Amino acid sequence: MTNSINDLLARHTLIFTIVVVIFSLFITFFSEPYGNGLISTSFVKTLGKTVCLCIIALAMDVVWGYCGILSLGHFAFFGLGGYMIGMWLMYERTAIIVQEAATNELLPLTETELSNAIGNQIFGVVGGYDIPSIWMFADSLGLQLILVIAVPGILAFIFGWLAFRSRVTGVYLSILTQALTLALSLYLFQNDSGLRGNNGLSGLQNIPGIEYLGQEVISIGFFWASCVFLISIFLLFHSLMKSKFGLIITSIRDNETRVRFLGYNVEIYKLFIFVLTAIISSIAGALYYPQAGIINPAELAPIASIYLAVWVAIGGRGKLYGAIIGAAFVSLFSSWFTGGQAPDIPLGIFTIEWVNWWTVLLGFGFVIITIFSENGIIGFLRNIFVKEK
Amino acid sequence: MNTLLKVEKISVSFDGFKAINSLSYSIGKNELKAIIGPNGAGKTTFMDIITGQTKPDEGKVLFGERSVWLESDQKYQVVWDENLLMKSESQIALLGIGRKFQRPTVFELKTVFENLFISMKKNRNPFSVLFQKLNRDEKNLIEKILGEISLKNEQDRIAGELSHGQKQWLEIGMLLTQEPKLLLIDEPAAGMTSNERRQTVEILKKLSADKSVIVVEHDMEFVKDLECEVTVLHEGSILSEGSIEHVSSNNEVIEVYLGR
Repeated sequence: MTNSINDLLARHTLIFTIVVVIFSLFITFFSEPYGNGLISTSFVKTLGKTVCLCIIALAMDVVWGYCGILSLGHFAFFGLGGYMIGMWLMYERTAIIVQEAATNELLPLTETELSNAIGNQIFGVVGGYDIPSIWMFADSLGLQLILVIAVPGILAFIFGWLAFRSRVTGVYLSILTQALTLALSLYLFQNDSGLRGNNGLSGLQNIPGIEYLGQEVISIGFFWASCVFLISIFLLFHSLMKSKFGLIITSIRDNETRVRFLGYNVEIYKLFIFVLTAIISSIAGALYYPQAGIINPAELAPIASIYLAVWVAIGGRGKLYGAIIGAAFVSLFSSWFTGGQAPDIPLGIFTIEWVNWWTVLLGFGFVIITIFSENGIIGFLRNIFVKEK
Repeated sequence: MNTLLKVEKISVSFDGFKAINSLSYSIGKNELKAIIGPNGAGKTTFMDIITGQTKPDEGKVLFGERSVWLESDQKYQVVWDENLLMKSESQIALLGIGRKFQRPTVFELKTVFENLFISMKKNRNPFSVLFQKLNRDEKNLIEKILGEISLKNEQDRIAGELSHGQKQWLEIGMLLTQEPKLLLIDEPAAGMTSNERRQTVEILKKLSADKSVIVVEHDMEFVKDLECEVTVLHEGSILSEGSIEHVSSNNEVIEVYLGR
């Protein structure tokens, strides 16, 4: 019996990989550069962004659905990843523009003049032209990519180490993670944070060096990169959760004390999962924001992390595909309703405008799904299709 | 016989209530002992202290006695391997102290086999666990233990579906796969049928062949069947110690415990 379940799971990963690949090919063959253009570039970007949201939903599902840590801070790691890659994108592109403009000058620019010109372009908006020291690696793609992993990794490690070691669990831990997110977002809102305050980083869709390819091609590239990363993370988490390590992680969720009395150092396991998922969230963010084109501190606000938990709950936590379905379903609906495509409903004296009423609908949906199906959409579908296990 | 665990004059109080009052206790290697006492006597607190969940206000908890030959003094000196008060729950568990909780505490969503698999004595470091696979020897050991706790036919069942008694045995099985030196067993017979009780007595007696076992019980009859030395706890200290006949003829014991 155990074997047949394992077979089914093994088939799940295969089915998942095939579905994602077919989906990506399908989108590519209807895209503007490689097909008949039925699918617009902006929609390809929306889909690529959705895939990134699915990746962070997977991370959230592992940390919450499998390990039982309701983190309300993972979207902050996602945003940090976006900021880290955004710094290189913005710096490098500005440097290219400044250098191009300078070719017309009689005298070549000195090092200081060049630096001041770049600084003025980037930080003029917050009143300054000094390049802050946190941008010291911004001219190197490699170093910024390392920061995409290192910054959230170190932050999650320090935070997790302090919180788990003090045995903070449950609601208290959720509140702490939310406080971390809020603090980070408030800090970034300040003009002297060195990251352009509430303006955030912009123009991220222009990838320095390959701009000549055009957005149509770049968007397909990012879409594919996101899909490949989604598949790899799905496979990684799937094999991790199926192993003995995964058994211990879910045991910690179900009965932490028992695991501790079996001799496992529960804190180290939690820390491992917390840091791993933070890093994966950050990489997903680094793939997302070049597609979104802009990042600002509002993206990191606590509400984003709460939405993340809602996606996973709606999709079905404790199941990897549940998280993906929840994230894809809710975020696509969200962009449909808030993008103005959904027809407004006139009710005589009152008109339901979806742009405003979408959150109400989402709230109702969340309540209804959690009342009728503890395991979200996945649990609901299982009840219908799998009568008896 | 070497002493395995020695508890010296421990006291602990919660909000002014003295749960344990200057209690001393010891158990030798491969010894089976029972602790009885009415509700609130401090039995569970006593276990909490040994396993590191509660730190006592004063006293010592020592583990693993050894005699060391002192060349300078030309005599043996007693040393202890570990001071348990300095250790966390997981470190104490790794030293070889297994604990069975009062309510059966197994992983309800996992199969019986998986429950035993994760309890297995192996490197507990997460980076090592990542690559641990079940090998043939371990599989055989789990099957042997499944036989000992009479759950061979239930190995692929979800633990939550087991009967109360079977869960108690599964938890004992989980302790066995840990290969501990000392087992602390809290009310093993609670909620068991008389048939299951008899089997539990057999299991516990068999265990004490190569392990030290402390059984905490509420039920005199069950303890009588264990045929071992009994300690009666009352209000956090020891009231009487000795054979079951000895303690049950003690007037004070009759008054506080049997008289109720």
